[in-house]
Amino acid sequence: MTGKPFMIAAFAIVAGLMALVPQLGSEYWLGVAFIVAMWIALIQSWSLLSATTGYISLGHAVFYGIGAYVLVVSLDWMPVPYALALSGAAAGLLALVVGLPVLRVKGPYFVILTFGFAELVKNLVMLLETRLGQFSRMIFDAPSLEALYYAMLVLAVIATAIAAWTAQSRFGRGLAAIRENEVAAEAIGVPVTRLKLFAFVASAIIPGIVGGLLVLRTSYFAADQAFDPAVSFTIVTTAIVGGLGRVSGPLLGTLFLVILSELLWARFPQAYMMILGGLLIVFILFVPQGLAGLIRKGLGRA
Amino acid sequence: MFQQLLFAAVVSGALYALVALGLNLVYGSLRLLNIAHGDLVMIGAYVAFWSFTLLGISPVVSLATTTVLCAAFGFLVYVVLLKRQLGSPALAQRLEANSLIIFYGLSVILQNGASLAFSATSRGYQFLDGVHSFGGVSATGSMLLLLGVAAAVTLGALAFLRFHVAGWSLLAVIERKDAAAVVGVNVERVQMISICAGFAIAGVAGVLVSMTQQITPFMGFPFTIAAFVVVIMGGLGNIAAGIAAGFVLGFIETFGVALTSATYRSILIYGIFVGVLLLRPQGLFGKAVQAR
Amino acid sequence: MTFTISRRTFLAAAALAPVTTRLAMAAGAPLRIGYSMCLTGLFAQAAPSQVNAYELWKDQVNAAGGLDIGDGQRRPVEFVSYDDQSNPANAVRIYEKLITQDKVDLLAAPWSTPIHLAIAPVLARHKFPMVGNTAASVKLREVKPGYIWFPTAVIPDKVGEELAAFMARENVKTAAVFANVLPLAQEIKTYLLPALEKNGIKLVANEDFPPDIKDMTTLISGANQSSPDAFIVLSYPSDTFLFATQAKQLNVKAPFVLSLIGPTIQAYQQAFGTGANNMVTVGHWSPNQSKWPRAKPFFDAYLAKYKEAPDALDSVLSFMSMEILAQAVATAGLDKEKLRETIASATFDTINGPVKFDGVQNTATPTSFLQIQDGSLELVWPESIKTRDFRPKTGW
Repeated sequence: MTGKPFMIAAFAIVAGLMALVPQLGSEYWLGVAFIVAMWIALIQSWSLLSATTGYISLGHAVFYGIGAYVLVVSLDWMPVPYALALSGAAAGLLALVVGLPVLRVKGPYFVILTFGFAELVKNLVMLLETRLGQFSRMIFDAPSLEALYYAMLVLAVIATAIAAWTAQSRFGRGLAAIRENEVAAEAIGVPVTRLKLFAFVASAIIPGIVGGLLVLRTSYFAADQAFDPAVSFTIVTTAIVGGLGRVSGPLLGTLFLVILSELLWARFPQAYMMILGGLLIVFILFVPQGLAGLIRKGLGRA
Repeated sequence: MFQQLLFAAVVSGALYALVALGLNLVYGSLRLLNIAHGDLVMIGAYVAFWSFTLLGISPVVSLATTTVLCAAFGFLVYVVLLKRQLGSPALAQRLEANSLIIFYGLSVILQNGASLAFSATSRGYQFLDGVHSFGGVSATGSMLLLLGVAAAVTLGALAFLRFHVAGWSLLAVIERKDAAAVVGVNVERVQMISICAGFAIAGVAGVLVSMTQQITPFMGFPFTIAAFVVVIMGGLGNIAAGIAAGFVLGFIETFGVALTSATYRSILIYGIFVGVLLLRPQGLFGKAVQAR
Repeated sequence: MTFTISRRTFLAAAALAPVTTRLAMAAGAPLRIGYSMCLTGLFAQAAPSQVNAYELWKDQVNAAGGLDIGDGQRRPVEFVSYDDQSNPANAVRIYEKLITQDKVDLLAAPWSTPIHLAIAPVLARHKFPMVGNTAASVKLREVKPGYIWFPTAVIPDKVGEELAAFMARENVKTAAVFANVLPLAQEIKTYLLPALEKNGIKLVANEDFPPDIKDMTTLISGANQSSPDAFIVLSYPSDTFLFATQAKQLNVKAPFVLSLIGPTIQAYQQAFGTGANNMVTVGHWSPNQSKWPRAKPFFDAYLAKYKEAPDALDSVLSFMSMEILAQAVATAGLDKEKLRETIASATFDTINGPVKFDGVQNTATPTSFLQIQDGSLELVWPESIKTRDFRPKTGW
């Protein structure tokens, strides 16, 4: 019952429903859907590297931030779609340039390295902006929320499709082999370095465009905010709650947390954050398969 | 001016060494990356602030209360969250892989809990802020206390590892947990004591910094980062090298800024951090312990 | 003594008055005022000073029988608020929710410049007027005038010019300038440096520093060698604390010492005691300005309710923004367009004196500077509103 056609149909229905959200005519729900699509796009991309290979990146805010920065800068020279493409390209290029040395580092070292790297880039951008005499930047005449939303939804769909394709491709099996045992994978001829680098670059591009879209939505850029490490942490948190290694995980994690926050944040913001922290601990310790795993188990029993 | 810079480097170094020591103890014997480490610094700072403001208790006394409180909290975390998991090799491995995330959860809980309980308003109190001058160096009383306590704790830790039987057990657990168990070391006990000591040291650092810093629920994160930089420089789990690395970082920061410009301070620190991870993940001084 | 008695009598009368009005006006359903606040995340420590001012305003309005909505009606007020986690994208969504889902009657401002700027288009799109408060940047002027206003007088170009003029008046000949790389500090510095030159003030040190700086020995000792008359430290709260500690340690002797953000926070004085004395900072309100009769009562009420002094910038601006809103509603009622016209054109009487907007900016409140004098915040510049003379800093 959880066969491939069923899954594809389910994803298509979700995407179709999300495409209809603008028809509701509610700017609020469109805003919610925008955030949902944003997290799905970010987390699916992150999963491409981190969930498949086990190289947990705690620095994906760097790609998002670079995307935002490139967009505000390039908007003076070109129309929005090109600027967005450039955002994605810049993020991908950054990943390509740093990928080889960074991906040699393993385990907990990789996790803290990605975090440190993001902070380093943030400080470099802050210095650059100071040198340029630009301390914050504003955007005027940004596209409508509806347009931004469709763009974000397309990113979410693409990211999900890539994740689904990867799961059953040779590429994906190679990545899984790296997660299981990198040395052994290399020994049997898996092109470990190339696969990792490819996954790293691929996981960076969409977050770069997402960063660009988000800065169009908020119309203001300041480096300390664009590279907010909270983004990196939220990606990892949501991915784990949703369930690593399943295409439905990022969707479930995002929906769950968005609903939870809608229920709680009005009255108990600090309590909401505390519950989030508690959930994270509970999921890691007791529900390692995440919501996707729980649901699968539930369906299996039924 | 040179003496003054030297003094600044030593004070920063002592604080870095102290904060990193706790993190390193927890990583060394439990293989857990405690990203909530700085939040224990925050708890120490609040203990000192409230004791001083509400009860008139000297922060010197708070050093003791904080030690007990944070150690007790460490014990609680160990018993409730970690003990069962660390007991089984398979679970322990998963725990180690995800420790950063678990402690991030804890960090979120501590920060927002403190914000809920104390409000996010920044706090401060006045203690030991008199200035003392000697040999071309001026220092506030709080800096001298920091130096004294940091020296006592770090030297104590080094002596303990070098000369005490229990210290040898700790070293053995850090080096090879399974082998330590074979030769009769009570691994569970060593781990429990390590986490209690690690938390307590962070709390002590919190009391010391509370005398000069603004105290807020979110003050801890920079300490977490500093501790990570130091521990990586020294090599994860390498206690003595971590202490040395704390001072090295203090010197690099102070003299690096003096030679270039304060603008480059954070770029310098993160640059070193990233550089060490890329080029010498085993640490500057030799060997980090194996990630199991 | 006579003052105390008369004030007490006044308060007693004020306390009695609401009872009668409330009895008369029991009918109105609560008026809902929405806002978003950074209760968690990057800026969380700033939230209390703003929320406290809002809550105090609400208590006072409700104690007076509710908010006057024109034509003699009063309605009690309540807040609808959400946490934006210090994230502008969340804040945008929250204001859309407040306007379209919750259908609040009025809006109050969020925290911080980025979030004000992020929600400005939302307000314009829904034609929903909101009086801003805690935003300060030259970028504010680039916002299309219409549905948002900024009562702050901390606009970086003005701050730079006025500061240089103030320094020149106090006979400052040489200055060291240190600036955090975050936007407000850098903007002020950009305008301050040419103004210093114009006023013949020589720059002996000019350095930027990152937000997470941990030691200022190099900066301070370096500048000390040329003993400048002024230390201008364009800092944020954590580096403001660091500077105060180290300025004392390293015996900064300059008579004119300024820290940008932080000295108005009560914790600052608690931490540094007499060391904080005669510190100059940016701000345009003092409880001791007798031309503003509501300033002192606000200070007293805030202190009584929260057991701490209001922040002279954030709490005051937040309270002011609500006063402006209330007075505009009393004239224009709840109709959004009439409200917008009134806010844009009327002059308001606030705890910070008269406020009048020209475009998005308040042009009535002069850019001013505060000095901590024996535990109280005094306006020391400009001449027109100062409450005390500037005092040179003589020690830590």
